[in-house]
Amino acid sequence: MADSVNITVDGRSLQVRPGTLLIEACRAAGIEVPSFCYYPGLSLQAACRMCLVEIEKAPKLQTSCTVPVAEGMVVRTATPPVVEARRSMLEFLLGNHPLDCPVCDKGGECELQDMVFRYGAAESRFAEEKRHIPEQQWSPVVYFDAPRCILCYRCVRVCGEGLDVHALGIVNRGGHSENAPNHGDHLECEECGMCIDICPVGALTSGAYRYKARPWEINYVSTICTHCGDGCKTTLSVRNNTILRGNNRDHSGINGEFLCIKGRYAYDFIEHPERLRHPLVRKTGQLVETSWEEAIRMVASRWKEIPDHQNESASSPAFGVIGSNHTTNEDNYALQKFARVILGTNNIDHHRTADFPALIAALSAQQHAAAGVPDGPACLARSRDLAHAAAILLIGNNPTVQHPLIAWNIREGCRLRGTRLYVIHSQQIPLLRQSFRFLPLRAGQEVDALAYLAGELGREEKLLGRTPGGREITSESLLDFRNRLLAEKDVIVVFGDEITGQAVSLLVRMGSQLPGHTRYLGLSDYSNSRGAADMGLLPHLLPGYCAITDPLARSRFEEQWKSKLLAQPGWTAEEMLAAIRDGRLGSLYVVGANPLKKQDPLEYRGKTFLVVQDLFLHETAQAADVVLPAACAYEKTGTVTNTCGELQRLRKAMQVLGPRSDLEIFGHLAKAMDAQLQPSRPDEVFEEIRQLVSGYNVPLSQLMAGEAELAMPINGFLSPSEFPGNVSSSQDHLFTSGTLGRYSQTLNIVPEGKTYKPPDPC
Amino acid sequence: MSAQFTLKLEEKFSTLLSRYPVKRSVLVPMLLFAQDEYGFLNQEIVAEIARRLGLTVLDVEGVISYYSMLRKKPAGRYHLQICTNISCMLRGANSLFEHAQQKLGVGPGEATPDGLFSLEEVECIGACSWAPALQANYDFYHAVTLERFDQLLSDLPAGRAVPDTPPMSHTEHEVQVLTRRFDLPNAASIDTYLAHDGYRALEKALRQMTPDSVIEEVKQSNLRGRGGAGFPAGMKWSFVPKQSSKPKYIVCNADESEPGTCKDRLLMQNDPHQLIEGILLAGFAVSAHQGYIYVRGEYRYLIEILDRALEEAYARGYLGKNILGTGFDFDLATHTGAGAYECGEESALLESLEGKRGIPRIRPPFPAVVGLYGGPTVLNNVETFCSVPSIILNGGQWYASLGTPRNGGTRLFVLSGHVNRPGVYELPMGFPLRKMIEEVGGGIVGGKQFKAVIPGGSSTPVLTADALDTPMDFDSVAKAGSMLGSGAVIVMHEDTCMVEAALRIMKFYAHESCGWCIPCREGTSWLKKTLDRFHSGGGRREDIRLIEELAKNMLGKTFCPLGDAAAMPTISIVQKFRDEFEQHLTGQACPLEGRLELELASE
Repeated sequence: MADSVNITVDGRSLQVRPGTLLIEACRAAGIEVPSFCYYPGLSLQAACRMCLVEIEKAPKLQTSCTVPVAEGMVVRTATPPVVEARRSMLEFLLGNHPLDCPVCDKGGECELQDMVFRYGAAESRFAEEKRHIPEQQWSPVVYFDAPRCILCYRCVRVCGEGLDVHALGIVNRGGHSENAPNHGDHLECEECGMCIDICPVGALTSGAYRYKARPWEINYVSTICTHCGDGCKTTLSVRNNTILRGNNRDHSGINGEFLCIKGRYAYDFIEHPERLRHPLVRKTGQLVETSWEEAIRMVASRWKEIPDHQNESASSPAFGVIGSNHTTNEDNYALQKFARVILGTNNIDHHRTADFPALIAALSAQQHAAAGVPDGPACLARSRDLAHAAAILLIGNNPTVQHPLIAWNIREGCRLRGTRLYVIHSQQIPLLRQSFRFLPLRAGQEVDALAYLAGELGREEKLLGRTPGGREITSESLLDFRNRLLAEKDVIVVFGDEITGQAVSLLVRMGSQLPGHTRYLGLSDYSNSRGAADMGLLPHLLPGYCAITDPLARSRFEEQWKSKLLAQPGWTAEEMLAAIRDGRLGSLYVVGANPLKKQDPLEYRGKTFLVVQDLFLHETAQAADVVLPAACAYEKTGTVTNTCGELQRLRKAMQVLGPRSDLEIFGHLAKAMDAQLQPSRPDEVFEEIRQLVSGYNVPLSQLMAGEAELAMPINGFLSPSEFPGNVSSSQDHLFTSGTLGRYSQTLNIVPEGKTYKPPDPC
Repeated sequence: MSAQFTLKLEEKFSTLLSRYPVKRSVLVPMLLFAQDEYGFLNQEIVAEIARRLGLTVLDVEGVISYYSMLRKKPAGRYHLQICTNISCMLRGANSLFEHAQQKLGVGPGEATPDGLFSLEEVECIGACSWAPALQANYDFYHAVTLERFDQLLSDLPAGRAVPDTPPMSHTEHEVQVLTRRFDLPNAASIDTYLAHDGYRALEKALRQMTPDSVIEEVKQSNLRGRGGAGFPAGMKWSFVPKQSSKPKYIVCNADESEPGTCKDRLLMQNDPHQLIEGILLAGFAVSAHQGYIYVRGEYRYLIEILDRALEEAYARGYLGKNILGTGFDFDLATHTGAGAYECGEESALLESLEGKRGIPRIRPPFPAVVGLYGGPTVLNNVETFCSVPSIILNGGQWYASLGTPRNGGTRLFVLSGHVNRPGVYELPMGFPLRKMIEEVGGGIVGGKQFKAVIPGGSSTPVLTADALDTPMDFDSVAKAGSMLGSGAVIVMHEDTCMVEAALRIMKFYAHESCGWCIPCREGTSWLKKTLDRFHSGGGRREDIRLIEELAKNMLGKTFCPLGDAAAMPTISIVQKFRDEFEQHLTGQACPLEGRLELELASE
């Protein structure tokens, strides 16, 4: 087939890739062809008839959304019949459309309004009354106004094809055709709100935003969602220092238009009544409000009292620090620097939800072994790569609920590009519906499956037999899975917390046996888990996965930080907590984390000087001696790194009065400790990160423009070894988000959150 | 919240499941059979069917609410469905329907308090030549006068009512090809069929011909599609790719629903084996091994006739494996629709056959390349398939010579409306329209003046007296500014209000529009509303232009031909009878109000 075909549109010669739809060819050339039902990536409908154009030799007008370009095609998009067709379609649509634009949420950003503005049908010739149907509430966040609906079927398709939820459908016939929810009068779905966002008119409106604002009063701030590890860009609609809604209307960023319930609605924890607005200090057993000055002075003076803190011994160290997996890279970098330089400890850790150190180590080792291989380092997959992959191997995790964007991309690949999805899983996860091959197993057998795939003898027997869900695993089914997978080229391997430690090395070894260029994606919870690991919130690793025991690496940081660093790895979070229980830790500083979530806070109270810096008075904060109220991601600038390693920039949308940013608090504490923590501004800290942290020296232009850059901190020298520490996902799903999720009204009012059940065993 | 199937339903379900390669295909028949069993589709049975087919309830609800025969609330024991579409309207159906409402004391869609009767105004049920007609459940009653209606109300519960079987009409001008066995005793049985050339064409094809030579013969015959579009059948078959990775299918369109048309009904009723043989020949011609006859849901008695014939054909080895020992395999089954004109459109029919809402598909690809279950599919009308055995037996040349150039053979013309002898007649292609009305149809009833004729079913533009000399073949009628369509000739005399005719036609298309595309969904319903107001005296002068323009704005711009079908008669009526529209502008009721109703009383 030729590389391009020549077509003529409105007298202009265009060269277009064969197979391109005419509407796309026109639009790419800047020739406007309107449409309602045509939507890139969703199935073709040819229903709205807005894109009718003249094609020479065709007996009548043709829908440009269904006609692929052909050599020599001559097209006219602005002739009187075309103009009249558009006008008449709009006249038909407006016949029943209530012209309540002044009170419609969509007014000002409505595609129908825009089209009428451009193509006419401004006067009504109909005498009969319009259809009237009362508005329906389908869920706490989805409202439907039937007469406004123009039946473009975008919502039905995005829910069915895009989300694989199929919660919307069309009922009745002819003029009575109507969009309907899956449970009679209400929806039971993922409540993602994609249907609202994709609606060209105001038929589907958001329970969170309706009747709140006119679009032209709004200030739009694009930032990164603070919930799961996927790092979707969400555009916050802000008016008068209040966030009114979240969406991604400009379709930019790694997620395009995609957002789940959290990205779209769960910013609402920010003004929760229980949000901490003043520092708290414990006086006579009670936490009482105090001033920032008082709180900072108290922490510093207590810390200064802890004896000999620069000379800790391993048996009874002075300090422990537990950082966050949703504060910014700048916060995390500064925190570990604060710990290592000012507090003088390597006892720093965070809740690890994916074994990034093991992955980076295994990939570094592989790169080291194959030095000079082209493409060697580009072995981490970006999220969009999934939508274009030839094959994907998914081991563990349930991306549909834990990583909605990852799942969205996987489905897109399977749907539009024939991606073959291989799944190794112990549960009947929703993505099985897209799978090409499935290897069911009992929970905990993932490593056996990997070893089997890697060709280790004696593993097959462990996998054979019947799964709890009654599936029979035979030698033939195993062999079929292995043979198919091993024949795949350019596979992306996606794995959850089922694969950690040495198993990650095994995974990379197995992946290296696959033909082509295998890429990896470790799935972690929360918006900056990956950044926390990259920035060295780890007891044994400096930023960029440099071993603390490596003198060369250490000296590089010592030189920059102008301070001597301890060479000995510190304690893990679990070890720190154990030390508190035994009375062996002088003080624990917890930033943006809730390590006592599943523990009894009383067991820890009074056994150490506990300082907690966070948004809410969660379990750990309740055990604290001092609580410092912190700003959240929507209240600060900085960068975060998603589960794939994509680095993106946060923009400050608003500010709740009282809390301060983590970086600012570190600075105050350092000063009160008679020390300096420089640099102190997020952009300056980021510059230091770019200079010092492996993989972060990325170009700035894309980042500043709101796009993502891939951080690839693979230095090729890290030796793979068993690392201490626990790695486990919180198993948050679509309607939970750690501590923050508890304070999101939306996540708590949608009924699906209460009825959510994890998938059955397979 | 799901129900158990009755034993009968359970059997039906497993029989149906064995018929299709895709489970979902059983959905529409299953819903209709379940409704027959339970009276209506309750939530439990819907949930059970959805569960068994692996569908969501929403998906099933979408299908139920698409098909007009499926209902979610109980009907009376005798569900009386009175057709008021154009042919029945011309014979007084409106007053029949009004009478029925008064007599039963219920409105449309309601049931009598004792649950005995329910009443519904329905669209064309395929009894146009025997109008006005009604169906009590699945039984047809023809030429229902007010007296006969009253009689039915007592006969039905008493078990004394005898349903009508439509007769074939004869004329000295007829040329019997398709209908030559109709008057034989036991015409529908395989023995009668075999005794009169039955399956000889199949034998000839299987033993002496190649698939290509069968197609060639059909091309030679100038057989053009009898469903309405008149596409050359042989050419359609030749579009089917020889090699296909997916199975090929033959689908017979027996969804006869074009208002004015009731001819396929006679072909299936009187000679089902002729249809089966025609489908088998098409199967051989394109190397397909599975076929379906999609029968409109209202024609339940015909499905029973066809099923008996299929059973006979299987028993005698004309269907199944290794037919006549030639190694040719072919399976054929009936499939019931559930009330949707749109499913007569070939791609919508395929969707419906796959168990979905009858929404047309984007074309290309055409069904010949990507059809049923994605496989290459030949779709033809009943009459088209029925014509094939004679073509193979007597040769394409012979068949072609019966008609006019490029319009081979005979066809069944359906005469309805204001003629003295309405009926279904087999006449050669090209038979003059005037002769058809005056000699075959016996002229206009009551010696009244001819006003207009719809020559090919309600979707074709009306013709007036100046076009009466048109020969009735596809090309000549097209030249006269209309279409031969389904061969349904609807004659209207001087008492017919053309505004009302336009309204009744538009009401039908608004009812049947699938709703998929904007111009058809909105256009038909706005035109219906506007015409309704206009006809009842509320018209504005600018509405005449509006009606014409709205129709033109639909024409050629809709997703499927239904929009054109609604637009064309409207445009022609406005253009040819503008004076009648202007007469309606007095603010008074229609000047011809009540005139058609007198017709019925005078009979």
